[in-house]
Amino acid sequence: MQKVCDVPGCNYCGTPETCRLNQLGVGCCGAVVAVEGDGELRRRLLEMGFCNGAAVEVVRRAPLGDPIEFRLRGYCLSLREEQARHVRIVPEAQAK
Amino acid sequence: MSVCCDQHSGKPIASGDLVVALAGNPNSGKTTIFNALTGLRQRVANYPGVTVEKKTGRCRLPDGRRATIIDLPGTYSLISRSPDEQVAMEVLRGLRPDTPVPDVVVVVVDASNLQRNLYLVSQLVELGRPMVVALNMMDIAERRGVNVSPEILAEQLGVPVVPVVGHKRKGIDRLRQAIASARVAPMPGWQLPAPMQEELLTVSSALGGHGAGGLAMAERLLIGDPAEDVRRLASRPAVASAVRWSHQRLRQLGIDPMQADIEAHYRWIEAVADRACMSLDELAAMGNVGPGGGILDYASGRTSITERLDAVFMHGIWGLAVFAAIMATLFVSIFWLADPIMGGIESAIGALGQFVTARMPDGPLKALVTDGIFAGVGAVVVFVPQIALLFFFLAILEDSGYLARAAFLMDRLLARVGLHGKSFIPLLSSFACAIPGIMATRTIESPRERLRTILVAPFMSCSARLPVYTLLIGAFFASYGAMVRAGMMLSLYLVGILAAAGTAWLFSRRDRGPASAFILEMPSYKVPQAGQVFRVVWTSTWAFLAKAGTIIFCLSVILWAMTYYPRVPDPQAAPAEQLRHSIAGRIGQVLEPVIRPLGYDWKMGVGLVSAFAAREVFVSTMGIIYSAGDTDEDVTTLASAMRADQYPDGRPVWTPLVAVSLLVWFVLAMQCMSTLAVVRRETGTWRWPVFMLLYMNGLAYVVCLGIYQVGSFLTGG
Repeated sequence: MQKVCDVPGCNYCGTPETCRLNQLGVGCCGAVVAVEGDGELRRRLLEMGFCNGAAVEVVRRAPLGDPIEFRLRGYCLSLREEQARHVRIVPEAQAK
Repeated sequence: MSVCCDQHSGKPIASGDLVVALAGNPNSGKTTIFNALTGLRQRVANYPGVTVEKKTGRCRLPDGRRATIIDLPGTYSLISRSPDEQVAMEVLRGLRPDTPVPDVVVVVVDASNLQRNLYLVSQLVELGRPMVVALNMMDIAERRGVNVSPEILAEQLGVPVVPVVGHKRKGIDRLRQAIASARVAPMPGWQLPAPMQEELLTVSSALGGHGAGGLAMAERLLIGDPAEDVRRLASRPAVASAVRWSHQRLRQLGIDPMQADIEAHYRWIEAVADRACMSLDELAAMGNVGPGGGILDYASGRTSITERLDAVFMHGIWGLAVFAAIMATLFVSIFWLADPIMGGIESAIGALGQFVTARMPDGPLKALVTDGIFAGVGAVVVFVPQIALLFFFLAILEDSGYLARAAFLMDRLLARVGLHGKSFIPLLSSFACAIPGIMATRTIESPRERLRTILVAPFMSCSARLPVYTLLIGAFFASYGAMVRAGMMLSLYLVGILAAAGTAWLFSRRDRGPASAFILEMPSYKVPQAGQVFRVVWTSTWAFLAKAGTIIFCLSVILWAMTYYPRVPDPQAAPAEQLRHSIAGRIGQVLEPVIRPLGYDWKMGVGLVSAFAAREVFVSTMGIIYSAGDTDEDVTTLASAMRADQYPDGRPVWTPLVAVSLLVWFVLAMQCMSTLAVVRRETGTWRWPVFMLLYMNGLAYVVCLGIYQVGSFLTGG
């Protein structure tokens, strides 16, 4: 399969339709398409700004691999992999 | 609700004293503004029925009226199930009978994080109360190249926007003025999908009213607001069926009302932020504006201080090294720095007790004053140095923004056993003492993970267990060499950690509720303000003294009475004889059949009962029983007395196996009334301390039973 983004170190190789926030490599950007998950988590994620196609950038992963820090709407927040996978993303093929 | 509707007219509020609610996102600098507004005229209490702090203060407005300011817990949204945010929502909506309905809402907005902060503003606008926006941290926004215009923002929102710098008290007078002349913001026209607007009309007609109030309530019903007033309405059959049908029709169209509502809010926010952020026009020309997040793309173009610091603090090697260094400093401070202060306090109180009772004749009254009352006060005050030091560090870590980073670094380890990244510091502190550790769990926002952290924190071997470990290891394993003894000591700590990890994991597996989400904001780094840090130290220490302190004091007086009464008729009787005769001694003897299978005799039983005052009291109780005194030099005498003790049939009372069983008992058992008192205060109910007492002692009993029985079998005894 072909790599979607050309950020060095990003190993995401799937198609844009299947991309989830936890699959993006560090330094990659994407636009939010949908938020899944149960009601309360979904509401929280939407309220924190994961909506309307907001641009999200993966800032870093914790030294132990989880959680992941993201930047969106001008601020940073971190999510565990288990939560980040509920956010569907269209990766942007652009280096930072 | 009637007050709310009266104020929909948009007129300035009535004269007289005002109730002002101070709302804002966490990390928006709300507390600094609260402090600047109210100065020292503050009160900290608890909202009845919940363990959420209620901070109120008073200030005088320029027109001579007085205002009561309620500092609400930081909140991201008015729709929430977390206790803190729920309290904020209930106060703002006037649903709490214990708090007056606010006349004015002041919302603190972090200019450097405008969009997410405006989400709360957009919800507050819907409340229809007079509102003022305090625009904070404009300097940070400017450093990031974003220039937020208060004038344009005020025009867009329709309410006064006052730029403030909380810690420099800039803009506070203007904020007071704005509070006095606050107005209701005009309702922005959310661009909800057309079918949803129709459904709003349908639901509001089922409610019996098309007015603004009816539509707002219909919206809250459709998006599933869990607030009490909405649920009450939703329980009416007519309303419930209208909502159900609306949901069904919308689902067929692929519309989720909750999502549509949040998206409509954010569309409005994006438009407002676009206009209010001045430099954005030029940036748009540079083609640097991404969808939905225009500001961020610009900000990420340059490296801010926060980013440069994070490159080190969050680094795989350097970050962990810095983390280890900070945690070591914190631990050393509460473990060793606090120790001489605690010793000093204890001996000062002891000396004071001696001084007061110097002229008193020996007898029950003198014993009550020295061993009951003064010792009880000492038992409370002795925790103050550790609590004050820990909260000093916590306040610095929290205000600087490092606490979130520490949680980020550690979360993976703790998440495996169902805890939170923020559980690390409470658990680490519990190695010094569980009391400050349990109090420090307040930094954990999610209530379930906080409770789990509280429940497992006492497994960490606290400094009060150390004298017991030292006595028993020294008395029965002296011949094994220093390495073995050090290894034993280390294994005791490991047993505690394993027990904590295991029970935390078990509790998280038994927790049937929905998994709590880990959503952790990473605030920008800030220099902590000395005034704010000392305020935190003061309020947390005072809260401990006033609430948990009274319980600890009463329990320690009761415990004293249990070792003092009833008296032996012969006044010349040895202290050991008196102790045996007392209630505690009798409990020890009654307990003997129960603790016999663990290898303990009644003397150890008395020791365990008295250890409830503090675990190290076990050592001095043994000193009394074996008539060895209780000073440090006497410990060697005590150890040999213990080794020499025999049952009537000549078997030794103490064997290395008994010592191991007792050591493990001290690791696992809950036998600290002060911890129970603090758990009572932090969880707001006796349910959890009782649960803790049962499961920890149950676990200790089973494990020690296993150790002693298997051990006796193997050694042929």
